[in-house]
Amino acid sequence: MKPILVAENVNAGYGDVIIVHDVSVEVSAGEIAAIVGPNGSGKSTLIKSILGFAKLFQGSILYHDKDITGIPSHRAVNLGIGYVPQTDNVFPNLTIAENLDMGAYNKRGKDTIKTAKGDIFHMFPELAAREKALAENLSGGERQMLAIARAMMAEPKVLLLDEPLASLSPKPSAMIESKLEQIRETGIAILIVEQNVKKALELSKRGYVLVNGALAMRGESASLLADDSFKERFLGLEQEH
Amino acid sequence: MDVNWLQVLVNSAVTGSLYLIASAGLTLIYGLCKFPYFAYAEYIALGAFIGYFVSEVMGVSLSGAFVISFLVVGAIGFLCYRGIFQPLARRGATIIHLMVASVALGLILRHLIPVFGDIFPVLEWSWSPSYFTADWAAFNLGSVRITGLWAWTVIAAIGLSIALHIMLTKSKIGKAIRATSSNPNLALASGIDVQKVIWITWSLGAGLAAIAGIFRGAETQVWPNTGWEMILPVFAVVMLGGIGNFYGAITAAFIVGLAENIGVVALTALGLSTSYRIGIAFIILIITLIVKPQGLAMLFRRS
Repeated sequence: MKPILVAENVNAGYGDVIIVHDVSVEVSAGEIAAIVGPNGSGKSTLIKSILGFAKLFQGSILYHDKDITGIPSHRAVNLGIGYVPQTDNVFPNLTIAENLDMGAYNKRGKDTIKTAKGDIFHMFPELAAREKALAENLSGGERQMLAIARAMMAEPKVLLLDEPLASLSPKPSAMIESKLEQIRETGIAILIVEQNVKKALELSKRGYVLVNGALAMRGESASLLADDSFKERFLGLEQEH
Repeated sequence: MDVNWLQVLVNSAVTGSLYLIASAGLTLIYGLCKFPYFAYAEYIALGAFIGYFVSEVMGVSLSGAFVISFLVVGAIGFLCYRGIFQPLARRGATIIHLMVASVALGLILRHLIPVFGDIFPVLEWSWSPSYFTADWAAFNLGSVRITGLWAWTVIAAIGLSIALHIMLTKSKIGKAIRATSSNPNLALASGIDVQKVIWITWSLGAGLAAIAGIFRGAETQVWPNTGWEMILPVFAVVMLGGIGNFYGAITAAFIVGLAENIGVVALTALGLSTSYRIGIAFIILIITLIVKPQGLAMLFRRS
């Protein structure tokens, strides 16, 4: 299948410091691709650079075969690339409903937004019940759901998720995983950054392993999980946590 | 000493209303841009001068003066951001750089007012005070004396509060202002054109300062320090209310207004000059910064 989003030969970082060296990743519609790797390997920097939240020194971003390298973040979002940061991913001083309104900021027409909100509440009934609650009063799992729901309001074609499962206890984590599966089934491409290598590869179809800002391995998630050298290098590390 | 406490309360409401109008815009700007924008005081002065020119020199109505002053100073606010602070921020200026730039801009604006008056004598702008001549009938309600200007100041503050509340909670741009203020990156990630939100807020904020300037100028006098004289209470209100928190600012404005008017009674009782009243806002500012730097924001989470 033709990829919907391609990041090619990306060199990215902050200020003058290059953290990610010459990495290419891609994701297709209806597929989850995972970028995994140890702490500080540049995973987050890589997806941030796709949207301009980190500096892209070199490389190009193709969306639907169109070069969108360097366009302003909010315009990339409007084109259909949703992004959920790892932390500070909701507006704490806004209610759940208002957070969702912000997600649909560039949608025209009250009815369109209402319909979109209805769909989102259908997917996240947990949020519908607390529509008027301030986001800062939500639990970790609810907060993460709201963060994803906010991004979904813009009806993205691609969703970039920065460690959506980090710091969640098993139950909310499993809930988010099932929501991601639901989202994928609607045909959205999901590119996920995750520290939990095993979980991310079980969730995804394709995996990229980043070490020290460079691509160490890539392949079908299932075959990576079955690969002995991969297991030794990355799953061994995982168990020490 | 006989104190008419009812009068003190009424005076406090009037003072608080004026401070609210003068601080509402600043708290929104401060919340968005995260640096103390001292040049804001000069928008108050500019508003007073433009209002004076429109209503007194040109002879247009006072309501016309409010509208024109709001629009012109709003445009000046936009230009200040677009021309100075946006490029500075883009070049990586820190809070300190932006703050110092704002002090400098404030000085320049304040001293440009009489310079403009020299170049264009028709403006009648100078260091010597001018006065609005509108006749504000004073009337008595029981033992309390009220002037028409005071009544309008309070009505304007109430109207502004309602209008801003509706804007911030119901309108798209209002919600975007709150969202951008709390998390600019997430606002960008929501497709909000953050730059545009900042432009609108700066224009609106400057325009509101202009309105406060006319009320202040009509109550006292119009001279280049009309805004600077109010900088302490205005910043006290913004800090006490919790930076960027409009609801906190409403409460804080009336707290500062009340404190000042009780302070005037106390100063009189102590036989001191009432011109020390400005110190009261300063004390509130210092205490807020020491005891609770986040101000009343704790009370108004939905900022």
